[in-house]
Amino acid sequence: MKKGDKLLALILVVVFIFAIGQYTFINISKTKRAIIIRSDGEIVQQIPLNETTEIITTIKSKEGAVTVQIKNGKVHIIESTCHDKLCVKQGWISRTGESIVCLPNRISISIVGEEKNEIDSITH
Amino acid sequence: MNKKRNIVTVLGWIFVVCIIIFSFINKAEKPPATAELYTMNTIVNIKIYGNNKEIILKELIKKIEEINSYIDSFSPSSDIYKINENAGIKTVAVHPETIAIIEKALELAHNTNGAFNPLITPLSQIWGFRDKNYRIPSEKEIEDALNLTDYNDIIINKDTVFLKKEGEALDLGGIAKGYTLDCLKEILDKMNGERALINIGGNILLYGTPPDKQWKIGIKNPREDGIIGALNIEGTKFISTSGDYERFFIKDNKRYCHLISPFNGYPADKIFSVTVVSDKGYYGDALSTAFFITGKNDALQDVKKFEVDIIVIDKDLNVFCSEELKDSFIPENEKG
Repeated sequence: MKKGDKLLALILVVVFIFAIGQYTFINISKTKRAIIIRSDGEIVQQIPLNETTEIITTIKSKEGAVTVQIKNGKVHIIESTCHDKLCVKQGWISRTGESIVCLPNRISISIVGEEKNEIDSITH
Repeated sequence: MNKKRNIVTVLGWIFVVCIIIFSFINKAEKPPATAELYTMNTIVNIKIYGNNKEIILKELIKKIEEINSYIDSFSPSSDIYKINENAGIKTVAVHPETIAIIEKALELAHNTNGAFNPLITPLSQIWGFRDKNYRIPSEKEIEDALNLTDYNDIIINKDTVFLKKEGEALDLGGIAKGYTLDCLKEILDKMNGERALINIGGNILLYGTPPDKQWKIGIKNPREDGIIGALNIEGTKFISTSGDYERFFIKDNKRYCHLISPFNGYPADKIFSVTVVSDKGYYGDALSTAFFITGKNDALQDVKKFEVDIIVIDKDLNVFCSEELKDSFIPENEKG
């Protein structure tokens, strides 16, 4: 092989590895699930969601606060300063596209990610 | 030597082409412009894709805030507040958009024989759904409130509105979200919007076609966490749901929900929820309320008359779809 051939072969190997790498990386990032927490409409926390994630965190807004628990790939609100506690009563969510909203406190928790069975939105 | 070299060159080009294709596939879908806002007494979520998405997003938000400023019955500066304050006293000049919404509300009230009623407020009040001071009113209170719900008492004259009796009060909460979605669709049409998903407190506008051809919309399970199933929808549609699980109170093991029958003055309890899929936003919003009052059989009968499709969930959690939706509904448990 000439020098040029070797160079081309090397470039090909690099490009090939890069392509595989990019493909795998994108596939991983597509299936990655996360919890997005918004307070007064602005994103305040973004937490990767998997079976082992275990977090209890308190989110504040201008109106009040809620305490969120993440466990076993699911999330729910365990405590809220709001009057009707509908957000607490809503229970666990676990599916991409689902969300819990505390209207009085203007705090929302939604599960995002790209999956096969993903739903675009929920009517209620 | 030359042969080898040719093979290498050809392979090289194949790889280059592959890479270009790869990068196109991956970059085809740019992230949407999104917004979450609290208005119209609920939460609004907007997701918009394509060119001009940021500019269109701003226009959409402007329109939502504008309509809310006319119809927010809790805000003293709104048209609706002024109309209600002057009920039985005098006419009130209002914005043309307010007139347009009231006219749509009257159209639906007539067409549903009063099952949708924009004067339901006195009844919501005595059951405590206005001030969250839930209670069971007396027969006398219900009778008096029913006397203030005749929608023929709404008098529109050019740009003025008058309610005939003192104590009558307009509430456009059951139609304004759907009406707003109609206005947002118009903006998307005018500004060449590509694809958008707008959710105003559970009332949804699906605009355009998603990459996998169909939108998947979950329908809330009325009694458990999560959804009872999902609808596959093609193209631009409006979806609205009315259920007994959103606002309610329980007394002596009986559930009383915020959707009150204008016929007898009691919270409706014929079904758990009804979802309406339509080509007109205000139809979906108002009809889901009306169908929740009238129940499964009447609702399924009215589907053709209004040119909508519905999904009813009865009190045993059975799901009934109107003809057109039978193949589009996928129950949650069958997904595995």
